[in-house]
Amino acid sequence: MRVNPNPMPDLLAALNQSKLATQQATLELSTDRSVNQPSDNPNNAALLVVNNDQATFNAGYLQSISAVQGQLSTADSTLSSVVAALQQATNLGIEAANGTMSDADRAAIAVELQGIQSQLVSLANSSYEGRFVFAGTMTDKAPFVADNAIPPNVTYVGNAVVNKVSIGSGYQLNVNLPGSQLFSEPGSDVFSAVNNLIQQVQTNGDIADAVTAVGTASSYLSAQRAFYGNALNQADSQTTYLNTAKLQLAQQQNTLGAADLAAAASDLTQSQLNTQATLATMSKMTQNDLFDYLK
Amino acid sequence: MSGLFGTLSIALSSLSVSQQEMATTSNNVANANTTGYSREVPDVAAGDPIAEGSLSVGTGVVLQKIESLRDSILEIQLNQATQQQSQLNSSLAQLQQLQTQFASSTSGIGADISNFFNSLQQLSPDPSNLNLRQSVLTAASTLATDFNNTASNLQTQRSNLDLNVEQGVGQVNTLTAQIASVDAQISNLQNAHLDASSLVDTQTTLIRQLSGLIDVSVIPTNQGITLATANGTTLVSGSRSYALSTQLGSGNVQHIMAGSQDITASLTGGSLAGMVQIRDQEIPGIGTSLDELATGLATNLNAANAKGFDLENPSQPGGDIFSGTGAAATLKVTMTDPALIAASSDGTTGSNGNLINFANVAETALGNGKTPINSYASIVFQVGNDTSNTSSSADASSLILQQLQNQRGSISGVSLDEEAANLIQYQTAYQAAARVVSTVNSLLSDAVNLGLGAAVQ
Repeated sequence: MRVNPNPMPDLLAALNQSKLATQQATLELSTDRSVNQPSDNPNNAALLVVNNDQATFNAGYLQSISAVQGQLSTADSTLSSVVAALQQATNLGIEAANGTMSDADRAAIAVELQGIQSQLVSLANSSYEGRFVFAGTMTDKAPFVADNAIPPNVTYVGNAVVNKVSIGSGYQLNVNLPGSQLFSEPGSDVFSAVNNLIQQVQTNGDIADAVTAVGTASSYLSAQRAFYGNALNQADSQTTYLNTAKLQLAQQQNTLGAADLAAAASDLTQSQLNTQATLATMSKMTQNDLFDYLK
Repeated sequence: MSGLFGTLSIALSSLSVSQQEMATTSNNVANANTTGYSREVPDVAAGDPIAEGSLSVGTGVVLQKIESLRDSILEIQLNQATQQQSQLNSSLAQLQQLQTQFASSTSGIGADISNFFNSLQQLSPDPSNLNLRQSVLTAASTLATDFNNTASNLQTQRSNLDLNVEQGVGQVNTLTAQIASVDAQISNLQNAHLDASSLVDTQTTLIRQLSGLIDVSVIPTNQGITLATANGTTLVSGSRSYALSTQLGSGNVQHIMAGSQDITASLTGGSLAGMVQIRDQEIPGIGTSLDELATGLATNLNAANAKGFDLENPSQPGGDIFSGTGAAATLKVTMTDPALIAASSDGTTGSNGNLINFANVAETALGNGKTPINSYASIVFQVGNDTSNTSSSADASSLILQQLQNQRGSISGVSLDEEAANLIQYQTAYQAAARVVSTVNSLLSDAVNLGLGAAVQ
C-alpha cells in the first residue's frame, strides 16, 4: 500500500498529545492535586464538594465547642465559689451557735453573713463575655435582684429556658442551667437559707436548724453543679472525636483529590521524552527526499 | 507513414508527452502542500498503429488525460468524520469554559453554602453577638453574589454562543454560495469535455469546510451535486444555493431557519450542532439546577427565619433574609440589620432555639430530592461528567479523522520521492527522444547529401 507522503499532521497530533500530557503532569505537580477541574474525575470532584462541606462543619463544631467551654467553665467555677461561700456561711453559723458567743459577737457574725449574701448575689449574677450565665436565655440583664431590706430579699427575673448548641451532626449539648433551678429551688433556695441564717443569728434563734438548711442548699447546688462537669466532659470527648474526624476528612480529601506526585513526575518525564522523540523525528523528516540526491 | 520522417514524428510525440508529464510533476510538486489537492498522474497510451503491408507500425505516444487521484467514498467518510469532530470540539471548548465555574471545592457556591451554615453554627453559643450575626449576613451575601455571578457568567457564555451560531450560519451561506458557483464552473468545463480536476478539488475542500459547520451529505446528480443536511434541508442543488437564516425564537436565542422551517434542533453534526447543544441544552440545564438550588435554599432559610424572633421586634416573627428568590441571577440579601436574624425561639435575647431550624435547612431535601450541598455536588458531577465524556469522544473521533486523512494522503497526497523518480524518468525519456531527433537529423543530412560527397571528392 502507498504510504501517506505527508506524516506531518500525524506528528503534530502526537506532539500535541505529549505536550498535553506534560501540561497535565505539570499542573498536578504544581497544585499537588489530581482533580483540578471537574472533568479530571467528575465523581471525585462531587465528593470533594461534600468533603469540604463536612470539613467546614467539623471545624465549625470544634470552634463552637471552644466557645461553649469558656461559658461552661465560668459557670462551673462560679458554682464552686458559691459552694465555698456557703461552706463559709455554715462555719460562721456553727460558730454563732456556740453558747459562749455574746450578742455583739453574733452581730459581728451577722454582718459577715450579710457580706457573704451579697457575694452570693454577685456570683449568681456572673457573666461571660457580657452574658449573664445563670439567666436562662434572658442573658442581657442580671437575673437576681436584691431589694433594700436587711437582709435583702433576692428575686429571680431570668427565665427557665435552656439553650442547646450543636457540637456534632445531630448532637446537641445543653449549655446552661437556669438560675431559678440552681439558686431558687423551693426547699433548697440558697438566698432564703442564708437570709434565714442571718435572721436566726441576729435573734439568736434556731441557728442550728438554719445551718442545716444552708447545708441542704449547698449539697443541692453541688449536685446541680455536676451538670457543668458533665457538659465539659462531653465537650472534651466530642473534641477528641471531631479531631479524629478532621484527620479522616483530610485523608479522604487526599485520597479523592491529591496528586500522586511520583506518578505525576514519571508522567512528566515520559511526556517530555515523547516530545523530544517526536521533535527529533520531525527534524529528520524534512531532510530526506529523493530530490536531495539529484545533484 | 514510415521512414525517417515517421521516426521524427514519433520522437516529437515523445518530446511533447514528456514535457506534459514533467509539467504534471511540476504541478504536483508545486501543490504538495496545497490543502485538498489531489495528486495528478498523466495517463499515456501508445499511438494507434498504422498498417504497412503486413506490418503494423507504432506512431508514438499519446497523452490521453491527466487524472486526479481521489477516492469519493473516502471523501464522504472524511466529511462525516469532520462533522463529528467539529461538533465534539466545539462542545468540548464550551464545556471546558463552563466547568471552570465549578472547579473549586473550597470556593464558589458549594463552599459558600457550607460557610453560611457554619456562620449560623458559630452564632449558636452566643446568639446575641452582633459581630457573629454580621458574619451570618456577610456569608449570606457572599453566597448570593456567587449565585448571581455564576448565573451571569452562564448567561454571558450563552449570549456569546448565540452570536457564534449567527456567525456560523453566515459562514454556511458563504460556503454554499461558493460551492454552487464552483459547481457551475465544473459543469461548464465538463460540458465542454474539459478537465475540471482542480475545481473538483476546490469544491471538495469547500464541502469539507462546510462539514466543519453543519451536517451535510453530498449527493451526485446529473446536474452537478446536491448538498443536503441530515434532516433533508437542501443547501446546494447544482449551481443554486439556498441560504439559511436566523430568527429570534423561543429561549430568546437565534433559531436556524431553512425558509420557514426551524432546523435548530435537528442538526446532528458540525460545530453549529455542538454550539446549539451547549446553548440550548447544557447551559439551560445547569441554569435550571442552579435556580432550583438558589430558590429552594433561600425560601427554606426565609421560612426558618420566620419561625423565630429577632432582636429588634421580639414579639413578631422574623422577616426575610433573601429577596429575589425565584432565580440564581436575582437572589439578593435584603436583610441589612444583623439584629434581624431570628435566632431566638421565644423572643428572649439569649435564646438560640430557632437556629436549629436554620441548621435543619442544610439537611432538608430540596424539590430535587437532594440536600443543598448534594444538589451543588451533583451539578459539579454533571458538568465534569459531560466534559469528560465529550473529551473522550473528541479524542476517539480525532483518531478516526486522522486515520481517514492518512488514507486520503496515501491515495491523493503528493510524494516528493515519487515526483523526483518520475522527473528522472521523464527527463531521461525526453533526452532519449531528443537523441532520436538529432540522430534522425544527422541521418536526414546524410540522405540529403547522398552522393554529393563523392562528387565533391
